[in-house]
Amino acid sequence: MANSKKSFHISDFSKYMCLVSIVLVFGVFSVIIPNFMTPYSLQNMMTEAAPLLLMAGGMSFIIYTGGIDLGAGAMVSCTCVLSGVYVAQFGNAIIPIMLAAGILMGLTNGLLVTKLKLPSFIVTLCTMNFWSYIALNLCPNGSEIIPMDKRFMVQWATQKVFGIPIMFFIALAGVAVLYIFQQYTVYGKAIYGVGANVSATRLAGVNTDMAQISAFVISGACSALAGALYAYKLKSAVPTVGDALTLTAIASVALGGTSMAGGRGSVLRTALGVVTITGVTSGLNMMGVDPLWKDIVIGVILIIAVCLNTDTRGRDLIVK
Amino acid sequence: MGELLFEAKGVGKTYGSNTVLHDIDMQIYSGEVIGLIGENGAGKSTLMKLISGVEKSSMGEMFFMGKPYSASSILDANHQGIGMVFQEQSLVGSLTIAQNIYLGREKKYSTCGFVNWNKMNQDAKKALERIDMDIDPSKKVRDIDFAARQMVEIAKVLDVVTEAANGHAIILLDEPTTVLSDEEIKKLFVQVRNMKEQGNAVIFISHRLDEVLDITDRIYVFKDGEETAVMQTEGADVNLLYEKMIGRSTTGEFYVEHKQTVPSDEVILEVNDLSLFGAFNHVSFELKRGEVLGLCGVEGSGKEDVCAVLVGDAAPTAGTIKIKGKECTFANPYQARKKGILSVPKERRDEGMIGILSIEDNIIVSHMDALSNHSFLSAKKTRRIAQEWVEKAGVKCVSINDRINQLSGGNAQKVIFARALESGCEVLILNHPTRGVDVGSKEEIYDLVRDMTAAGNSIILLGDTLDECIGLSSRIIVLRDGLVTGMFDCPVGEKPLQLDIVQKMM
Repeated sequence: MANSKKSFHISDFSKYMCLVSIVLVFGVFSVIIPNFMTPYSLQNMMTEAAPLLLMAGGMSFIIYTGGIDLGAGAMVSCTCVLSGVYVAQFGNAIIPIMLAAGILMGLTNGLLVTKLKLPSFIVTLCTMNFWSYIALNLCPNGSEIIPMDKRFMVQWATQKVFGIPIMFFIALAGVAVLYIFQQYTVYGKAIYGVGANVSATRLAGVNTDMAQISAFVISGACSALAGALYAYKLKSAVPTVGDALTLTAIASVALGGTSMAGGRGSVLRTALGVVTITGVTSGLNMMGVDPLWKDIVIGVILIIAVCLNTDTRGRDLIVK
Repeated sequence: MGELLFEAKGVGKTYGSNTVLHDIDMQIYSGEVIGLIGENGAGKSTLMKLISGVEKSSMGEMFFMGKPYSASSILDANHQGIGMVFQEQSLVGSLTIAQNIYLGREKKYSTCGFVNWNKMNQDAKKALERIDMDIDPSKKVRDIDFAARQMVEIAKVLDVVTEAANGHAIILLDEPTTVLSDEEIKKLFVQVRNMKEQGNAVIFISHRLDEVLDITDRIYVFKDGEETAVMQTEGADVNLLYEKMIGRSTTGEFYVEHKQTVPSDEVILEVNDLSLFGAFNHVSFELKRGEVLGLCGVEGSGKEDVCAVLVGDAAPTAGTIKIKGKECTFANPYQARKKGILSVPKERRDEGMIGILSIEDNIIVSHMDALSNHSFLSAKKTRRIAQEWVEKAGVKCVSINDRINQLSGGNAQKVIFARALESGCEVLILNHPTRGVDVGSKEEIYDLVRDMTAAGNSIILLGDTLDECIGLSSRIIVLRDGLVTGMFDCPVGEKPLQLDIVQKMM
């Protein structure tokens, strides 16, 4: 009912949280660090943000269904390694190949969740070990650098058009596609329905299994693309690149104001969350803070963000 | 009349600039049952919340036993002797009955942090016996049926308030009969009369006017947050109450019978020898175009299970379902909808409304694959469709972007009807379509049912009351213990008697 005038409500804050935090983060850092807002630093941040935009954008869809993907980071590692190792052989065709691999990985998760009726955090907690296995098996000695004579194949991704890295354009295009999917397709609506009330959506004659599977498939494809971008960016196969990214991606989604209980949210908000997180990590980097602190800070941000998103009655926080 | 227990003077409640309750005066005397009626949104529940301590009043004063009364929480109200039995059940499923009854009051039974469960169970047994309930208090609440849960809830509240204020307690019952069968309602009424004889007062809220007339001594009528009438139950009748609630008199034909269609001969759905092990056996019937087929039976007769099978929620163990002569099987409600069967589910909040989505999304959700162009939806088109339905069905809302859970029960149900009509499904299964819906909305929903059949849809109806089932249906099938025991034709003007149907049900 109309309790809008009821003084200040904490949940009102979650609506504007992403904007407030962007202003806060960029404001504070540009005061502390003189070089923070220079073109060079901003370009760096864009390259930094590009894979994360895709990954967190895909993760949003799983979170809309009320689920979670704990293996997304491992997927990124896996596809980063595959791209780095095989780009010499396949050239840029590796990108569509990775996309296919990501779809397959997402499909595996989706089928396990829907057909065996298991909670997504259990399924993804288990399947993530496969993705890590592939990554570590192909790179037993840590990172492998893309051979110098093949570098020309991956060079284009970090090149700049109008001062903006091409990678960033790819990420923006990805977000646009995700937004259209979320807003204007039958699957998008069904995914929100599943998160909002799965039994009602099912009884309304919606193919809820299909909706859930499609969320996992999208997330898989996005993570795989992010993995390929990491290989292009780092010019090597890094089997540990995704280790901390699951946390970062979930934090970005939560910072965007998306409820962990599902049924609400938008990839555009997630994109703003990614910008904030990237600002924080780059800022800490430039200040010379020990990188070990980065994940702790992101963890704290995630807790605060979820706290602010959650309904005060506490009925919201259910991971399905 | 007994002593004055409770008095409200000019009580009201505002949310922001929105006044939902205004200038309410109420007196409650000891040994009295008060009826409180009004449409959804009339302010009944708000008043209950103020009295039971869930919310604070914005204006006016309340007195209990002659002293100014205010309660900061439900517990506080309980300790003063005022307890409320909530519409939505508030028991904890995984705890035992006894643990639920003494939830928050375990201290009485504990020494050094260890609880004496035996003693608690004994006391719980006594509390249950007080309302004539013979049930083992060490059973888990999730293992007993809804009706028993409702009674446990009453036992709990009764125990709390009598402990605090024996003989002058006030018990608020918010639609306690919704989930009860006729038999259980009778039992409940016996208990209500018992409470009253002990000098307590009961406030009884119900949408069923006949119940209100049956049990209460005095009736308060609310409309749009104001008190429109107070009357003695003696001398009141359904028409009078209806008029005071709605502000207009009932149109003699409550079930819009003049619009009842004569079904055509075309068989849409044919069910043969359908069985679900343990639920029903050898159920066969035909559903014709434009027909409303009522399924009657007591709780557990198998009618709910027949519905579950027809909408694809359960797989039959034997028998066939034919749609327009073609045999079909469905593994889930999605496949059933694709074949043309969709339901308006019974539990509106849990199974009908997709709560945090917009009215628009709730309307198009069952039809969006057909509306889309290669899976892409036109926002303009869906908005137009939703707008049309909101107007046609008379949904009261600010905009189609409102969340459906901001609507009152009746309005939300109209949205779900719009969804069913928009789906394009020819067979619609209406499972208790008017449960918890106020009288005014009920009539509009009946009108929608008539529109559905006029448009050539066929309906299987599980009525909220037998009266409703007879009034709306053109044919009735009676089930008992999973078997079809009777079939009645119900053409306009020759409706069968309730008694005849009840005989087949029992």
